[in-house]
Amino acid sequence: MKRALAYMVLTLGALLVIYPFIWMVGTAFKTLPESMGGSLSPLPQTWQWGNLSATLQAAPFGRYFFNSMVVGITVGLCVVLTSLLAGYAFARFSFRGRGVLFGLVLATMMVPFEITFIPNFVVITRLGWYNSYAALIVPWCANAFGIFLVRQAFLSLPEAYYDAAVLDGCGPLRFLRHIGASMVKPTLVTVFLFAFLGSYNALLWPLVVTSDPSMGVVQVGLASFVLDSGVRLNLLMCASAFVIVPSILLFLVTQRYFETGALGSGLKE
Amino acid sequence: MLTRSFIGLSLLGGLIAGCNPTPSSSGDFQPLSTDQVVFWDRQTTETAQLLQRITDEFNDSQEGLPVRIETTGNYGEIYRKVMASIQARQLPAMAVSYESMTAQYAASGAVVPLDGFVSAASGGLSPEELADFFPAVLESNYYSDYDGQLLSFPFSKSVLMLYANHRVLRLAGIEAPPRTWEEFLQQCRTIREKTGKPAYAISVDCSTISGMIFSMGGELVVDGVFQYDQPAARQAFGLLETLMEEELAYQIQARTFDDEVAFARDDVAFTIRTSAGSANMAVAMGGKNDDWSMNPLPQQNLDRPATILFGPNITIFKTGAEQERVAWAFTRHFTSVPVMTEWALATGYLPIRKSVADDPRMQAYWDAWPSNKVPYDCLVFAKTEPNLRGWQEIRSLVEKAESAVLAGLKSAEEATKELQVEAQATLARAQQ
Repeated sequence: MKRALAYMVLTLGALLVIYPFIWMVGTAFKTLPESMGGSLSPLPQTWQWGNLSATLQAAPFGRYFFNSMVVGITVGLCVVLTSLLAGYAFARFSFRGRGVLFGLVLATMMVPFEITFIPNFVVITRLGWYNSYAALIVPWCANAFGIFLVRQAFLSLPEAYYDAAVLDGCGPLRFLRHIGASMVKPTLVTVFLFAFLGSYNALLWPLVVTSDPSMGVVQVGLASFVLDSGVRLNLLMCASAFVIVPSILLFLVTQRYFETGALGSGLKE
Repeated sequence: MLTRSFIGLSLLGGLIAGCNPTPSSSGDFQPLSTDQVVFWDRQTTETAQLLQRITDEFNDSQEGLPVRIETTGNYGEIYRKVMASIQARQLPAMAVSYESMTAQYAASGAVVPLDGFVSAASGGLSPEELADFFPAVLESNYYSDYDGQLLSFPFSKSVLMLYANHRVLRLAGIEAPPRTWEEFLQQCRTIREKTGKPAYAISVDCSTISGMIFSMGGELVVDGVFQYDQPAARQAFGLLETLMEEELAYQIQARTFDDEVAFARDDVAFTIRTSAGSANMAVAMGGKNDDWSMNPLPQQNLDRPATILFGPNITIFKTGAEQERVAWAFTRHFTSVPVMTEWALATGYLPIRKSVADDPRMQAYWDAWPSNKVPYDCLVFAKTEPNLRGWQEIRSLVEKAESAVLAGLKSAEEATKELQVEAQATLARAQQ
């Protein structure tokens, strides 16, 4: 009885969470007046299949998807690499100024994007990277949150593993490559997920450092449905419905690691 | 000890290096592209396609560098990008901007004064051509902070309108939309009483406040002194206070078009928005033009009407003689009568030249639906917001004051008093 009640509550919660997505997909095939009508029904009165082609024609979404995936995956991998090396160093090595350096790394999380936006743009422009993948990728290759997560993950590993590896003649880098990295894999997957999503969902930075349509990303494509005078809600929902697919797929594939990495990190023996 | 000193010196060095000096106004800006004249614009979807076609026609008609349109986000995002580009000393040849933004760009010495281009014997505008522009459309592009120079040129203009939902008005037994602010308040009360719903969805916006102040017989700035503590401004904020207290209106979420959604759903009778929104509104209302109308803003005095004219201009940047020449030629082409007619018909923006009214296509457009001509008729009494340095920041103060009144945090009296002080202080700082 208790279990049935629990499942009922959970099902209701799941429906409440998933319903907006169902509504979004249904609204994608409504006319503009119907989409603005405020109806909660996800079913269009008349299915507007032409919305798909209208959406794809409004902006070069094929190219935008390609760019978003290239940038997102590259940023994710780079953040994983930098977080792994830096997090490992902060967790395992003892050196003068470690605390200060780690504090500085964490302090960067408190600096708002507005502060660094112009200096970053100036550097990008002077390097000749305007309208390039380098501008979209390089500034985001290191991430204080990722470093923090990986550090915590390494701190939660029993010392015994490291001691045993050292006794067997394993150096720090070899330990990291053969043992440490695989032990913190859930955290690394979580870091990749956060970095990918952060990059995939970014709008302002790609808008600022690119202007060539061939360098645009999906969020720029979504912004094209927000006009001076209103929003093309039905087409925006149509575009959103397929823009969201990679994020959902990635989360489903990495869900197991995400739960372990995000919720299990920081636990000490 | 050595490591600590090293870290300390490195940090200090970083801080000093990070203190970027204000760029000099020596004109040493580089163009974004040396073989194209880049134009940063905001248009998307169909209007972007139309603008591209106009640009292609221009490029085909001339032998200079081709113009390239780059859609660069909304006006706020374009402003931030231009400000960043000024710091980077690399700019597009031209960009759309509001007057307050151009004033900020000009402070960095990045803007080309257009007086020379306009008065040039070849490629300029004759006195007859200049007189063909509506005065308000050109006036705001002369900047008193910069010796009255023409620092931008009109691009897409619209006026503030009162949108009225006739389905809701009919339900409340109202025959025609209000013409005065007194009628507006009364109709809001009637609608609330008869339908049980608020009558007006409020979008927090400085330009709407400015339009209300103008229509209530006031001004924004007189001889460098803001007028937010004067009767018209107090009346505008007071009206908003009354509307909220009596639950005749509600505030929509910032930077959304929820008022248009509410309007289309018959949840409200009124919304106050730009005339450029009429095309979108027509679609939202399902093409039923008998069920809604665009009307002049309600007035305090029908014998002395006023409303606000807004819309961006084109600013040309110091990116080299050839880039600037082509940028001006494109601006001149875009504001020519045939192009302006096509632009106005397709986008809903106003034709900024008087002779466009003689075009039969324009006449047919106005005859198709009476509301189509109403914004054009308002051009003669439309006024613009200040183009002073600092106005961009003051706009945020106005919106903050409006939000405070709508939320009931401050009375209209308190909000306008504080706004007057803050606006004046901001202006003084910006003028230094």
